[in-house]
Amino acid sequence: MSTAVLSAAPKAHLHENVYLPKRAVVDRVSDEIVDVKTFRWHFEDPADQAAFRRFRPGQFAQVSVFGAGEFPLSLPASPSEQDFLFTVRSVGTCSSALHRLAAGDVFAVRGPYGNGFPMEEYRGKDLVIVAGGIGLIPLRSCILYALAHREEYGRVLVIHGARTPQDLMYLPLLEELQRSGQLEVHLTVDRPSSGWTSNVGVVGSLLNKPEVKLPVGNSIAFVCGPPVMFRFAIRDLLALGMQGKDIVSTLERYMKCGVGKCGHCCIGMAYVCTDGPVFTYEQIVQLGESI
Amino acid sequence: MKARVLDSGDVLKVVDLLRDSGYQVVAPFAEPGGDGAFAPVTDENRDAIALHLPNPLYPPKRYALPPIEPLLEIRSNGPGPAFRPLMEAPRVAVFGMRSCDLAGIDHLDRFYLGGTYRDIYYATRREALFLVNVVCTQPGVDIGETCFCPCTDTGPAAREGFDLQLMDLGGSEWLALAGTARGEELFEEPIFRRGTPEHLARREALLEDLRSRFRTHTSWFAAAVAKVSRGEVTEGTWEEIGRRCLECGGCTYVCPACTCFTVSDRPLDENRVERVRIWDSCALSGFTRMAGGHNPRKAVHDRRNRRFYRKLSHHFIQRERSVACVGCGRCAEICHGDVGMPAVVELLRRGPEAGGSP
Repeated sequence: MSTAVLSAAPKAHLHENVYLPKRAVVDRVSDEIVDVKTFRWHFEDPADQAAFRRFRPGQFAQVSVFGAGEFPLSLPASPSEQDFLFTVRSVGTCSSALHRLAAGDVFAVRGPYGNGFPMEEYRGKDLVIVAGGIGLIPLRSCILYALAHREEYGRVLVIHGARTPQDLMYLPLLEELQRSGQLEVHLTVDRPSSGWTSNVGVVGSLLNKPEVKLPVGNSIAFVCGPPVMFRFAIRDLLALGMQGKDIVSTLERYMKCGVGKCGHCCIGMAYVCTDGPVFTYEQIVQLGESI
Repeated sequence: MKARVLDSGDVLKVVDLLRDSGYQVVAPFAEPGGDGAFAPVTDENRDAIALHLPNPLYPPKRYALPPIEPLLEIRSNGPGPAFRPLMEAPRVAVFGMRSCDLAGIDHLDRFYLGGTYRDIYYATRREALFLVNVVCTQPGVDIGETCFCPCTDTGPAAREGFDLQLMDLGGSEWLALAGTARGEELFEEPIFRRGTPEHLARREALLEDLRSRFRTHTSWFAAAVAKVSRGEVTEGTWEEIGRRCLECGGCTYVCPACTCFTVSDRPLDENRVERVRIWDSCALSGFTRMAGGHNPRKAVHDRRNRRFYRKLSHHFIQRERSVACVGCGRCAEICHGDVGMPAVVELLRRGPEAGGSP
């Protein structure tokens, strides 16, 4: 075969069937917000469990549920945590099928895939997590990773917005980390309910609040959320003096393989699955397609 | 590369030799109505194999990458799913593969076997394939109106990638080249005899003449690659291409170099499903639609832009070290909107105002 020249390069998975998922078991299911559940899980085979541990914040996995199919999910747990997690909203066929699983049920996972956030490169910087709604799911990993390596980073702020207080993600965790002084948390909602004392408005309305004291000089902003929120939050961050190379996000795309072959997630010159899903805003602009 | 000569009456004996050594041979046949198709060779149809005919509309790509390929059997007769890989490696010999289609296989090799992850399904099937290239030598028959392989540098005679190459030298002789050790083994058979330098000279002279027989021999492919790669194509041009596209996906299904697939789990019975991959098309609007309905690439011109960017940008050519267009002209033949590759190259080069056709 004329590919002999190509195989000269070291290949990590020469004889591996990259499409073969590994069996995993649900340990516990907990409700987050409406239609969103978190699954605590582990691989059946300890060898798979150990191999998966090398994942990094921002990577993703392909998840199979019997009879429904396979779909990509981000990894909300930090590698520093003991347990693996998925947090997923019930939207399509696969996510709905996953929602029907209970503790003890078996499903399957392959991965981890993608580049992930280069957390080592961010050492010495302030980290600003800007998340709209379930956009906080992939960034949960970054938050807990940063707190597990607390001395390596400056301030760690979470600026989280949602439609209503009932739509805020991981609220008990955020409040606990805030109470213990590990994390600065600023919340905002579009439509407050009675008893809401924090900010009202879009995420951008928090960014220039004096009490937030948004660090812009030596910081990295992680931005995830619905397309509209994403666009405006980026606009506001740039207006406040942040640079495109210091704003990072993880892109969501329809994906079938996760390994750079099926072609669905290819945008501009990048495959989101293998070149991403983490891109700086500067790179996203170069990719030249809408979010 | 070793060369041998054989009589034209013995060319189909190559098919017999391959069948005798255990290959299922597929070859082109003329179908009623003038179309051609690759089909399995049997004792009954063996004499009807067409050595010269217009290249069949469906490329033999499917023997390396089937339109529907089983990946896994998933069982749920117990506590949770059990996965069994369904990997097949039928010993198939494709006889009569054109040089353009061979370049398509080369592109697939680079794409599926290269990159961070190697596709073991493709590798397994591919390793069992034996490829017999037949050089297109008859203008108006082998070489059609829409062929443009001289522009993509993939034909009319492939330089590599085949196990065996056969070329009609005219008269009663054919020239055979072995591209691999497997191909060379066939030369031990008595139908092959040593050639002379004159045979090779005839090959070169024939090819020289053939290159000028193509209707399109300068499609300015390189100019289009440069414009796309430098981002010099205007939005208006992409919109014009999008306006002409009827979103049928036909171009992607006849393309020897398209690689995209979707994956689907289909039930076999109550306790078993089969995970299959199915060719997919970036021309279709559902290609990028996510659960919940958000589709980052809605507009048809975004999707056309995608197909041609993927095929023509220097970035991807460099990434695979091969161009995802092989000059076969099938997209031009099948497209009702006249946005096959040659027309697109013309539009990219000259802009929508200058037109090209319709």
